[in-house]
Amino acid sequence: MSTDSLDDGPTVARVRERLDRVTDPELDTSIVELEYIDAVRIDGGEVHVAVTLPTAWCSPAFAWMMATDARDEVEALPGVARATVELREHMHDSEINRGVNERLSFGEAFPDADGDVAPVRAELDEKARVARQHDATGALLDAGLDGDQVVGLTRDDLDTDFDGGRARVWLRDGGLAVTVGADPIERYLEKAEATGLFDDEHDELFRTPEGDPIAPDRFETVRHRTRLAGVNMSGQGSVCDALHESRRAEDRPPLSKRSD
Amino acid sequence: MYEYEGEDVFVIDSHLHLWDASEENIVHEGGEQFIQCFYDYHTAFTPEERQWSLEEYRQYGADRMMNDLFGSAAVDMGIFQPTYLTDFYDEGFNTAEQNAELAEEYPERFVLNGTFDPRDGEEGLAYLEELNDRYDLQGVKLYTAEWRGDSKGWRLDSEASFRFLEKCAELGIRNIHPHKGPTIRPLNRDAFDVADVDDAATSFPELNFVVEHVGLPRLDDFCWIAAQEPNVYGGLAVAAPMAVHRPRKFGEIMGELLFWLGEDRLLFGSDYALWNPDWLVDVVMNAELTEEQRDEYGVELDLEVKKKIMGENAARLYDIDIEAKKEQFRSDDVTEKFGLGDHYAGSSATPADD
Repeated sequence: MSTDSLDDGPTVARVRERLDRVTDPELDTSIVELEYIDAVRIDGGEVHVAVTLPTAWCSPAFAWMMATDARDEVEALPGVARATVELREHMHDSEINRGVNERLSFGEAFPDADGDVAPVRAELDEKARVARQHDATGALLDAGLDGDQVVGLTRDDLDTDFDGGRARVWLRDGGLAVTVGADPIERYLEKAEATGLFDDEHDELFRTPEGDPIAPDRFETVRHRTRLAGVNMSGQGSVCDALHESRRAEDRPPLSKRSD
Repeated sequence: MYEYEGEDVFVIDSHLHLWDASEENIVHEGGEQFIQCFYDYHTAFTPEERQWSLEEYRQYGADRMMNDLFGSAAVDMGIFQPTYLTDFYDEGFNTAEQNAELAEEYPERFVLNGTFDPRDGEEGLAYLEELNDRYDLQGVKLYTAEWRGDSKGWRLDSEASFRFLEKCAELGIRNIHPHKGPTIRPLNRDAFDVADVDDAATSFPELNFVVEHVGLPRLDDFCWIAAQEPNVYGGLAVAAPMAVHRPRKFGEIMGELLFWLGEDRLLFGSDYALWNPDWLVDVVMNAELTEEQRDEYGVELDLEVKKKIMGENAARLYDIDIEAKKEQFRSDDVTEKFGLGDHYAGSSATPADD
């Protein structure tokens, strides 16, 4: 961040830009793009964000992840001393709002939950990695690589800072470079790193959904599986979207009389 | 019988309920949340002019159900799938006994499935036998995410569950329908994880596992398991209505299902009363894959495939002879009641009575 923004302090636009980094973990799509943000209020160094999810029954674990991520992202902005999040009309909004704003752990906020939120997040990150791999390998195939070349790539064969939104890919022998749009590759790398895919033992860039290197004769099957991960996410996105519309309909009956 | 472009399509709705979510029957706030969540699904996907009010949706009763299923001739037969939820509803949400009200009155039109819950132990095994003695079960609907006291669910691949699956095999209850669908409320999401189907399907090759709601939103895990286990099937309840407002997405999901499972392992279900088959059958029969989707998946969703999905696949699992049924339905009580004679007349050599 430049010193300009420090001097200027947070603005609604900057807060929303920052919130754009927060994704609905099940859909791997920004909560800004999904229109979950109802309001952003700024009072000096304090920022308040109000959020409504597509259904009041959205998994509390997912709601928790989005609320804590929103809080942390906004607090990372220069000039923000404290961010508070208000999740609206969720069946567990009081537990989540208290937990997020009082900096409790998920287990402290939900004493009767069967487990922590971390494994759920890891599993969803893994699914997002697989779906993003489909886009990244698709871009490489479109650029002319074949399956054998794609499965042979390592992390070091990539140069994402090449030039103006393009990434450069060195093929195995180092004698040939191909350029592709950097965006799908960078998006993939972000999740591959978040899921700890690259370690000392393996440097293969792309993997099976289980995280193993891909045998060349399995490339097609893995491509189909990565496609499926994306269809699952966007299919679920359609359901959420439909519930979102239904929830905002003017003539919708009131929420549970018993939920208070 | 549904007619599509001059051809008869025999429809077996493989996912029906006669439920009671009336306020008097609700004993836990979860029961109210459950029906409201259903109602959100209902209004989200039902064409506006076909939507019900929340009050009629809570408890519609047997007469309305008969009319909704058969009055418009969209459905020929149905399979009841009970959902007990006895912690939420005083008399249960939709029990085998409640469903039996119609299934026993019109045995030619309905298949009545039972259920089990391994947490019930010996008593549960006895109940399963009792249900089987009374109704001659061919299938069970299982709700692995059902709350019971402190328990938020159970797994199909647990030792306790295997005892019940063994009992099913012994009693000849071949069709196991685990509900693996959208999360309703559990704090943790594993209750709808489909992974437990894998080991159960491998361990009981003589049983068929019809995963309801095709595992949405775990379609990826479901398809991968089904691709390896030939006795795993997909029930389309909840996926089907996407054909209304999200036809392209429906095409993608069908493309994946046909690619991984093939056309012989998918079963249509309306999930009545979540959605009414009279419009849903029409929408699904008219759904098409785009040219791009046909290329991408290398599959077809043509009339022959749809006939399998709408009825022939379920008929195979439940030993239903479709031609014999058509003959029988020319003059059964339901045909008399709703004046459906013309729909079944064409299947006979006798000229239709115009």
